Amino acid sequence: MLEQYIPFVGEETIHELFLISKKLKGLRVLHVNSTYKGGGVAEILHRLVPLMNDLEIKTDWKVFKGDKKFFTFTKKLHNLLHIACGHCINSEEIVYYLKITYENFKELDTENYDIVFIHDPQPMGLIIKKQPGQKWIWRCHIDTSSPDPQAWNFLENFLNTYDACIFHMPEFIYEKIEIPTYTIRPSIDPLHPKNIELPEEEIQTTLTKFGLDPEKPLILQVSRFDRLKDPFGVLKAFKLVKKKYDCQLALVGSFAPDDPEGEIVYKELINLTSDEKDVFVLNLPPDSHKEVNAFQRGATVVVQKSLKEGFGLVVSEAMWKGKPVVGSNVGGIKRQIVHGVTGYLVNSIEGAAVRIKQLLANKYFREEMGFHAKERVKHRFLIIRHLRDYLILMYKILNQIF
Amino acid sequence: MSNSFIFKSEFWIPKYTGVKVCSIKEFIENLKVIDKFSIFYHMYINIFNYHNLPTFYTNSISYWFYKNGRVLLAEKISIIDPLDYYDLEELRRVLVQTLEENYDETWNGREVNPFYFIKAEREIIECGYFANTLEEFIEGIKKSSINSLFYHLVTSRIENKTLINDYSAWLVNIGEAKKAEKIDKLDLYTMTLYEIKKKIINILEGE
Repeated sequence: MLEQYIPFVGEETIHELFLISKKLKGLRVLHVNSTYKGGGVAEILHRLVPLMNDLEIKTDWKVFKGDKKFFTFTKKLHNLLHIACGHCINSEEIVYYLKITYENFKELDTENYDIVFIHDPQPMGLIIKKQPGQKWIWRCHIDTSSPDPQAWNFLENFLNTYDACIFHMPEFIYEKIEIPTYTIRPSIDPLHPKNIELPEEEIQTTLTKFGLDPEKPLILQVSRFDRLKDPFGVLKAFKLVKKKYDCQLALVGSFAPDDPEGEIVYKELINLTSDEKDVFVLNLPPDSHKEVNAFQRGATVVVQKSLKEGFGLVVSEAMWKGKPVVGSNVGGIKRQIVHGVTGYLVNSIEGAAVRIKQLLANKYFREEMGFHAKERVKHRFLIIRHLRDYLILMYKILNQIF
Repeated sequence: MSNSFIFKSEFWIPKYTGVKVCSIKEFIENLKVIDKFSIFYHMYINIFNYHNLPTFYTNSISYWFYKNGRVLLAEKISIIDPLDYYDLEELRRVLVQTLEENYDETWNGREVNPFYFIKAEREIIECGYFANTLEEFIEGIKKSSINSLFYHLVTSRIENKTLINDYSAWLVNIGEAKKAEKIDKLDLYTMTLYEIKKKIINILEGE
C-alpha cells in the first residue's frame, strides 16, 4: 500500500519510513476514538492504521461507544474547551461520563498493546485501564488555548496520567499541562476517494445531480452543520457577494453520530434559505466522499469561515485540488493558508465577502494561488509526513528520551 | 572502507518546551537559557520544511517579530546565517547580542501574538547505503531524501563541530576540492532542498 504514495512523496521518503519502522517492529499499537464515520479523526485513522500495519507495526483501531446523552455532554465539553462561554458542567453529566467510561472499560481491550493513542476527550477516561509498561498518549484535535476553566479541570483529572500528549499546533496548548507535549499537524490522504483525481464529466454530473448549475461560479463551504463553522456567516457573506456577482452557494455537510447538534443547525439553515434559489444546503451521507470531492473540484472559491477550528483539514483538501481558500484567521486555518499566496485569511463576514469577490473576478489570481496551495499541501499536509511523525514520536516515548 | 561516506537521515518531532512569551523582553530573557535545540528548531525550521513559497523571513523568530510589527528586529535577525556557527551556544550569543543592541526599552509591553519556544526532538538514522567513489557518492545523493540532505548539510556540522558540511569534507578527502567548495557555498535559505539536491548533482556531475 505504501508504494502507492511514491508518486506524491518520492521513493526515498517511503524507503526511510521502512528504515524507521524497523526500530518499532513487533510493537502493538491501539488507537481509540468515538466514531468510525464522520469528521477528520476517523478519516485519518481509516488510512493511518492500515499504513502502520503495512510497516509491520501491529495496529488496531477501536471505537469508544456512547449514547446520545453521552455525546450531548461531550459535544458541550468540546465547545467549552474551544470557548469559555459561561455554561457549567453539572455533576449529573460527570457521573454519566464516568458511567459510560466504565461500560467501555469492561468492553474495550486495551491491555494487549504497548502504546495506546486516545483521540479527543470522549474516551479519555479509559486511562484508568493503563497497565505497567504501557505508554498512553492523548491526541487532542481541539483548540484548547483558552478553555473554560471548569471544562479544563475536568480534562486535567485524566490528562496528567498520560505519558504524553499531542496537539495540532503550539497555539492550541493550554499552559498548565505537566506532561511532555508535542505538536503534530494532521494530514489528508491523496488516495482517499475524497481527494483522488476525478474526470471533469463526473464533477459536472455531481453538481447537476444536486440541482446546481455547473456553468455558474460556485462558492463552497464543506463542514459539519456546526455553529462554530459559522455557516450563517457564510450565508451573509454570500449575500454581500451576490449583489454584484451571479453565483451560487453550497453548504455541504453531514451529521456525525457523536454530534447531536448537527441536525438542529441543518434545519435552521434550511428554513433560512428556503426562498434562496442559488443556495444549496446539502446534508450528504457520511460516506459521500466522491461527491464532496466533486464539489471541491467544481467550486470556484472555497470558504472555511469557522469561528474556532480544531484544524480544518477541509482547507487542505480544497488546496490539494488547486483551489484558493478564503478562511478565517483562526486555529489551524491560519497554518494552512498563506495569506495572499495560497488564499486569504479573513476576520469578518465583510472580509470574507471582499476576498470572495476578488477571487471570483480574477481567474489569474485563482490559478496562481491554487498552484501554490497544492504545493503547500504536498509538502506539509499529506499523510506520509503524519505517519512518519507518529513513528518518531513512538520511538522517542518508548525510549524515554524526554 | 574507513573513508566510506555513510548516508544518514534526520527526522524531527516538535516538542513544546513549556515556555510561552508575550513580550520582547521576556523573549530575550528566555532565549538566554532555553534548550539549545529550541534555537536549532526556530533557526532551521524554514529549511527543514519545504519552503517553496515566498516566506516572509528565513526563520520563525524573525517571523514572530514581523507579525508583531517589529520589522527592524525581524530584518536584523533574518540576516544572521546559522550556518556560520557550528556551535549553537555561539549562535545563541549572537542572537541575544543582536536583539539587545536593537531592542528599545520603550517597547516593553505585551505583543499581540505570543511566541512558543519549540524544541526539535531529533532522530538520526543510517540510510543503508554508502559511497567509496565519486560515482557511488552521486548515486547516493540521487537516492537521498531532503531529510538526508538536511542532516549532511546542516546537522553534521554541529555534530562534527566544523563549519564545513560533511559532503564537502568527504569530497576534499577524495581530492575533489573544487566540487566541495561549490557545494559548501550553496545558500540553503534561498532555494528549496529539492533545488539544492539538483544543484549538488549538477556540481558533482561536472555541470
